[in-house]
Amino acid sequence: MTKLLQWLFGVSLLGAVWALVSFDLLDLSLPQTYREVAWPMPLYLLVSFGCYSLATVGYRVATFNDCEAAAKELQEQIKEAKEDLRKKGLKV
Amino acid sequence: MATGVDQAVGMSLVVFSLLLFTYYSVWVIVLPFVDSDHVLHKFFLPREYSVILPGIAAVILLLCIGAFTAVVIWKNRKPKKVD
Repeated sequence: MTKLLQWLFGVSLLGAVWALVSFDLLDLSLPQTYREVAWPMPLYLLVSFGCYSLATVGYRVATFNDCEAAAKELQEQIKEAKEDLRKKGLKV
Repeated sequence: MATGVDQAVGMSLVVFSLLLFTYYSVWVIVLPFVDSDHVLHKFFLPREYSVILPGIAAVILLLCIGAFTAVVIWKNRKPKKVD
């Protein structure tokens, strides 16, 4: 069985469990509060995944390994190279 | 480590997403188990909004992505050369 089929199988299994609990398809008469919590579950998982992605992006922006001296040196070298090429006749 | 503004922006993103996650979790998971006359309910909108608001946010996000794509494609269109 391919990975895609495995994932689809897992997702449809979870979807079936969710539908059974939220819409009471087997008439198990669960307490109303459990049904109220289960129903927005897919949306809740999506929102929490979005929050996790946002937090990861923010954290990695804050802890990015800047090398300011190297950046400045690189800008200097770019200027030098442009001057050099301009002298040699290239239109920069 | 990143400097100045980068660090501030990054940390504020982390804090914002933590707050959003906590608020939404309490709204969806904790509130149904709390008695309806508890003072906690005053801080949260009616539960229907816990589905409507993320839906609206998703629509707005898709609109922004679509608008950005349209602007970029519009700026990069080149007139056809005439032979």
